[in-house]
Amino acid sequence: MLSADEAADLIEAIASRQEREAFAKLFRHFAPRVKALIMKGGTDVEAAQEVAQEVLIMVWRKAASFDRSRASAATWIYTIARNKRIDLLRRGARPIDTEDWLVVYAPEGEDANKSILAGQTYTRVKKLLGGLSKDQLVVIQKAFFEDKTHTVIAEELKLPLGTVKSRIRLALRSLREALEKDEQ
Amino acid sequence: MSCHLAPEELLLDFATGALPQAPALAVALHVALDPQARRAIDGLNAVGGAMIEGEAAASQDDAALERVMARLAQVAVEPRATPATRRLGFEWVPPPLAPYLRPGMRWRRILGKFDEIRLDVPGDAYRVSLLRLEPGRGLPEHKHPGYEYTVCLQGGYTDATGSYGVGDFAVGPGDQSHEPVADPGEPCIALIVVEKPIVLTGPWGRWLNPLVSRRLI
Repeated sequence: MLSADEAADLIEAIASRQEREAFAKLFRHFAPRVKALIMKGGTDVEAAQEVAQEVLIMVWRKAASFDRSRASAATWIYTIARNKRIDLLRRGARPIDTEDWLVVYAPEGEDANKSILAGQTYTRVKKLLGGLSKDQLVVIQKAFFEDKTHTVIAEELKLPLGTVKSRIRLALRSLREALEKDEQ
Repeated sequence: MSCHLAPEELLLDFATGALPQAPALAVALHVALDPQARRAIDGLNAVGGAMIEGEAAASQDDAALERVMARLAQVAVEPRATPATRRLGFEWVPPPLAPYLRPGMRWRRILGKFDEIRLDVPGDAYRVSLLRLEPGRGLPEHKHPGYEYTVCLQGGYTDATGSYGVGDFAVGPGDQSHEPVADPGEPCIALIVVEKPIVLTGPWGRWLNPLVSRRLI
């Protein structure tokens, strides 16, 4: 296993020293996980493998833009994987510019104080997910694993759209409240 | 500043990448301009991170690692991206909007009341426009059979549901008519994503609706 701090250290080692051994460690940990997540969205093994490799190469390229105070390594890698998956789905249409998504918006004065303490957030989120009701967790997992909109999820679960919306709202509000309590 | 946040289910669809491109542009602008929305997305991304971390590792052969390591020699570690500094107003185009603006795009005056730039976003289900309203001017009263997403990019406007400033997000009122009016100050500019053609409900609606449905206005 790789702790959040260790993973962040590895990305920083790439940024400052182009350390190949650090990359290999990150690859061994994250590439199979990214691949597994992509496959849950219905992508076949070959394509998922391809996406996972491209994601890790993007981690190498963009290592200097990683900011451990803003996002954990897993969170940052998740956003890169998501964007790669969007690119894959929109092949043919204009691809989204992955660079755009990596732009770090400079927080404004007082907003900076409120910005989430990323490493902690990630650990907390893991715990908080465990605290959601089963009904809420099913919807959230379906959204992240299967890459489906809440409308599609409602159809698949044969639930009224309003029910799915309120489960999402309750789940995200309890996550947010718990995170905000942490920040105080 | 802002108190009009996009609904959670839309933020979730955006964070997972499932939202179609046109509404995703609206949410991306909201996130770029509204610190509260940005924190919500940061939190959702952390959920995605937790999902990845909790994933049982699918089998990965060492040959793949070797191939990727061999490619690294040709891939430079890029210098840190300069953070975009935020300045409100339209003289500064929020980054998510920039790819959709092309040289030569001009405001078109519609019905003598407001200005529009139609944006070309892939996907047939949505119509995407920038609208500009002079202070005190309103959009013709209208309603939406489908969803309407609005993000205010400059100035502000008010309708029966409240007042909206830069970065605020509104979801169209569905079958209820509404008539937004621009607030005093600089002209109000907003991005509007409409799911289906608007139905005009004012006295002119009967005459104008056929033009709307033929995308002439």
